[in-house]
Amino acid sequence: MNEQDAQDRFRILVCLDGSDECYQSLKYAAKLGSGVDADIVLLYVRPTDQGLRSGGLQVRVARENMLKWGIELPGIQYLKKGRDMLKDLGVMSGEEWKEEVVHTDVDGDPLGDNKINYVNEQGKMVVLKLKVATDIATGILEQWELGEYDIIILGASSRWKGMARSFWDPAVAEKVAVHAPCSVLVARDLDIGHGHLICTDGSDESMEMVRRDAVLASRCECPVSLMSVALDVEDEPKAKENIAKAEKMLNELGIEVEETIIRTGNPVEEIIEAGPNYSLIVISESSKSGLQRFFMGSVAFKVMENAHNSVLVAR
Amino acid sequence: MTIGTWLNLYFFWEKKWFFIAMFVGAFMLHLPTPGDLSREGMIILTMSIVAVILFITEPVPLPTVALLIVIGQVVLMGHDSSEVAKSLMTDSVLFIMGSLMLAVAVVKQKLDKRLAWLIVRMTGTKTWRVCLGITVVSGVLASFIGEHTVAAMMLPVGITLITLTSDDPRKVRNLAAVLLFSISYGASVAGIGTPSGGARNAIMIGYWKEFFYDPTNPETLKFLVSYMDWMIHAYPMFLVQVPFVTAILFWTFRPEYRDLSRAVVKLRALIEEEGSMKAADWMSILIFFLVLVGWIAISGDIGMGTIAVAGAAMFLVAGLVKWEDINSGVNWGVILLYAAAISLGVQMKETGAAQWVAEHFLTFLSPVGASEGFGLWAAVSVLTTGVTNMMSNGAAVAVLGPIVLKMSVVAQESPIIIRYITAVSSSFAYLTVVGTPACTIVYASGYLKTTDFLKVGWKMAIASTIIMLVAAKLYWPLLGI
Repeated sequence: MNEQDAQDRFRILVCLDGSDECYQSLKYAAKLGSGVDADIVLLYVRPTDQGLRSGGLQVRVARENMLKWGIELPGIQYLKKGRDMLKDLGVMSGEEWKEEVVHTDVDGDPLGDNKINYVNEQGKMVVLKLKVATDIATGILEQWELGEYDIIILGASSRWKGMARSFWDPAVAEKVAVHAPCSVLVARDLDIGHGHLICTDGSDESMEMVRRDAVLASRCECPVSLMSVALDVEDEPKAKENIAKAEKMLNELGIEVEETIIRTGNPVEEIIEAGPNYSLIVISESSKSGLQRFFMGSVAFKVMENAHNSVLVAR
Repeated sequence: MTIGTWLNLYFFWEKKWFFIAMFVGAFMLHLPTPGDLSREGMIILTMSIVAVILFITEPVPLPTVALLIVIGQVVLMGHDSSEVAKSLMTDSVLFIMGSLMLAVAVVKQKLDKRLAWLIVRMTGTKTWRVCLGITVVSGVLASFIGEHTVAAMMLPVGITLITLTSDDPRKVRNLAAVLLFSISYGASVAGIGTPSGGARNAIMIGYWKEFFYDPTNPETLKFLVSYMDWMIHAYPMFLVQVPFVTAILFWTFRPEYRDLSRAVVKLRALIEEEGSMKAADWMSILIFFLVLVGWIAISGDIGMGTIAVAGAAMFLVAGLVKWEDINSGVNWGVILLYAAAISLGVQMKETGAAQWVAEHFLTFLSPVGASEGFGLWAAVSVLTTGVTNMMSNGAAVAVLGPIVLKMSVVAQESPIIIRYITAVSSSFAYLTVVGTPACTIVYASGYLKTTDFLKVGWKMAIASTIIMLVAAKLYWPLLGI
């Protein structure tokens, strides 16, 4: 497949860690990626084996010994389970799937990156990728650079969001969401079928995001609702205007809006409160640079951190 | 253009602890030096604190800290560069280097299958007996050749038993925990058994000689510890801990399968494919025993480091291991790190910084009655256990060693008891993945969660501390300390 083709295709990156969360989010990915023009990449990131922690004996010595015994690398079973789920969900049904194994050497690790590509006749791809990286978030971001994705899906399980260690090691989901150049879905109890709650503040970026998410929602045939929050009573007409603008745009695209919500108060609190009635909250991310986001904490990141259900940060 | 676009500010955020450490260092250097501490002592104390912050938070690769220590000694303290370079290499460092090379050589010998065969033959198929067998064999081996060697050798045995019992990791979570922890804790509790059981023991022996031995005074000869002496003091403690390891693991995790006969039968078949012992196998066992005999019999004369290096040389001469394997299997940065930490420790003594910290720490401990006797022992043990859980235990001993040895002098306690307590407590790093090498290696299997270490680790730490304090009170006095 050449680069042009890759750009036209809808590419989904699903990060697996063996938790229930990640397999739930895989179901959503399967729905998004059921079309022939979509590729699904399942990714497991294994931290690089290194010897500073192991008293000077490189972990690779132990790893090579395990391989001699015929023991699989951690992560392979999670990827295989993911592939079997995709088969059960009908994503990999039908025609012949060609299988291709690819290995890439990585500095400082005896085993490097390994992946299996499954390609069908129409060119649809499902990839199982076992990647090695210094840490999980870096691995996910490096994977994005290898082939651009439209969306990264990751579960907000304990492995991704180490609460106790958050000051030492910025949580994986947070780090990916800050740095990834594409939309990031942080899944928490992701239950498909309750629709997308799209939040808009009327800005140009936000309108673009509404349009993009509508495309996503139409892929998974999910109902769409719109929400806008006014900071105070005076602001309410503006919020109403935002909603009307977004609704008009969606109607022009042929997408029906199920419900519109206008609230007054703190945007973060209002959005989080309205969220659980929907499968996921969709929120746009303003054009701040990485560090500004980190220190000032935009509405999008506060919602992502504190929401009770899944959040899609759209870009 | 905003600042954010041309300055990669995220870099500063990710490396924040490096800058915090440097700021703390600069601030301390500008404080007035306390009257009873020399200027040099103040500098070395500052360097130690900065190094500890960097060891714990790891904003930069750890060997960088070693390089910074070397630079600091030359630039800040004005020492001669050649003198600093010389202070990096001691017998303890040679021992660490040699034993790591030996570790790679031993793991490459495929003796693990023979060991697995030995274990299942001895223990039968009951889960608790298999775990006890693994703990004993891992422990006895680790007490001589170090825990990382044993963890690397035994890990495949543990995982094979798990996968042969069930393919679904969820169904054997607790079984996986007891089997893998039997390896890592068995090896960890044994690391105290002999001087060659871990880098920390070698570092402590080095400090002891450096601090208390005076060639002109025959009285100080008692401070030179022999391999056998150490074993007599510490080995019984390891043996007492073994049943506790199995009991605590079973109490915490309750494995799903009480009997492993299916897995054991398959494992036997797997091992029998190997056939009988070959000449190379016998050769590697012979070299291994020569090294042990050398450590026990002549390490007092020619140094433990020399024997470890000789062992590695013998493996290479016999063609049992390739240099390339040794070169890629040893993390040479760790050796550099230990070398710099020891050199820092010696400077702590020479500048009087260790004495100063020891005095102030004791004044701080005296209101709670921990400035002498049993209270001091317990305080030293708790302090060492705390520090060693946060950073590698060799580094913990290298940093704390000088201070606690000086504390024993100031408090007029026996430095011998305090020394053993520090070295032994530094193996109580059961709480975190990074605490001991064996824990890090078994964690690489992917079967354990970091929370598992916390769940069982605190029980292990309490049990080990009690056993050690009882030994200090009842057993060591019998040996005439």
